[in-house]
Amino acid sequence: MIGGTYLSEVAVLRLMHLADSALPIGSTAHSFGLETLADEMTLVPENVEPFLRVYLQEGGRQEAAYVRRAWMGGDWQSLSDELGARKAARTAREASLKLGRRFAELVNGMAGRRLIEANLHYSIAFGAAGAALGVPIDAAAQAYLHQSMSGLISACQRLMPLGQAAAARILWNLKPAIIEASHAEEAACFNPYLELASMRHGSLETRLFIS
Amino acid sequence: MTLSFRRGEFHVQRQDPPWKVVRAFGLPDAGRLVHLHNVSGGILGGDRLALDVEVEAGAAQITTAGATRLYRHRSGGADSSQCATFSVGDGATLEYLPDPVIPYAASRYTQRTEIRLGRGATLLWWEVFAPGRLAAGERFAFELLRVQTSVHAAGRPVFLEDYALEPARRDLASPVRMLGYSHMASLCAVQEGRPPEFWRGLERRLNQIAAEGSLPGCTVWGASALASDGLLVRGLATSGRLVYGPLAEFWRAARLAITGVDCPLPRKTY
Repeated sequence: MIGGTYLSEVAVLRLMHLADSALPIGSTAHSFGLETLADEMTLVPENVEPFLRVYLQEGGRQEAAYVRRAWMGGDWQSLSDELGARKAARTAREASLKLGRRFAELVNGMAGRRLIEANLHYSIAFGAAGAALGVPIDAAAQAYLHQSMSGLISACQRLMPLGQAAAARILWNLKPAIIEASHAEEAACFNPYLELASMRHGSLETRLFIS
Repeated sequence: MTLSFRRGEFHVQRQDPPWKVVRAFGLPDAGRLVHLHNVSGGILGGDRLALDVEVEAGAAQITTAGATRLYRHRSGGADSSQCATFSVGDGATLEYLPDPVIPYAASRYTQRTEIRLGRGATLLWWEVFAPGRLAAGERFAFELLRVQTSVHAAGRPVFLEDYALEPARRDLASPVRMLGYSHMASLCAVQEGRPPEFWRGLERRLNQIAAEGSLPGCTVWGASALASDGLLVRGLATSGRLVYGPLAEFWRAARLAITGVDCPLPRKTY
């Protein structure tokens, strides 16, 4: 039971599958600007958790709002174009689209039929897949944010001396903030410094991540 | 206030206090420059201002006569707001280059800006937000600053922004938001129909300027091609004095690349 709604057993397993950080869509290649912050020592192990809490209040809420809108149906491509116009930093926007395309290919391939369109931002593809697979709206938004946090924490582990136990504790501590962000209906977001980090990512001398 | 521009002609369709436009000045490329005056000196608590501009053809450059000061909110009163809509016809050009917005302590303000561009239309728009009256010891002492901006080109969403700052509730010093910086600047350059390669090239050029103009801890800049038809420059700074020099340089480089025409900035101190 999630958010007052029962999931079928198969829906639970599918949700766990789609939100697994090992899902082969290439998410481990993206830091969404964190690499720039780590390079300039703005992001260090000590402030990863508060950083991600604020991230959830801004970008997290925006993405959750679009997971929810996509789950409710309508014109997914228009929604995706709208979200793309909200992502001013090109590298982060392209990463979101790339992950969405690979996610759609994978889900459509596993399902054996075309459940979702192929050219959508990741959060929209995830919301659309959640609805098609019988996952309740809150669970879809929470699972999306959870895998997103898991991916960013994993990126931090490769960028700075952040151990496995500390990383696991951060993700554990963030769960209430994930749930709070997942209920966002408005797509308001204010993240200019992170946006600048994405814009400046290409100028780093050495890069581990694509974005 | 309602303004309209047609090739070489400027008309004030309607103006009500506190808005005032005195006259238009000619620009080297045959466009018209207009200064918007707010004769009350700022936006008072509860003010609801509306600005509607139509650039049917030709080029319009619009600036303000001074900073937009957001005065203290009156207890129990409505928030103040400004709603600006710009319609730019096929092949026409709009430059909207207002002075900074300065939210005073305890102000509550919503700004909505909607820009719609026709086919081949051009936009150069900048916006600067200060943290308050720094000389009076105010820094992020406002209650609410809500900003909603949309830019569409030939019906496509090009740039959408929506945020609400409530410094007492949400710390702006996070590395997600503004780190230790106090001023935020944005420059949006759009020309409907330009291919992605053009914007990627301009992004590279402007990022060179950004790298040269950035001094971490004082000011930091970046440029990025938008999803289609345009580019955004973003900057953060610890002082208003660090904003307008780089912003003018980005504006000039983007203008030259897009229109092929150089032009002086509105005459004032940057």
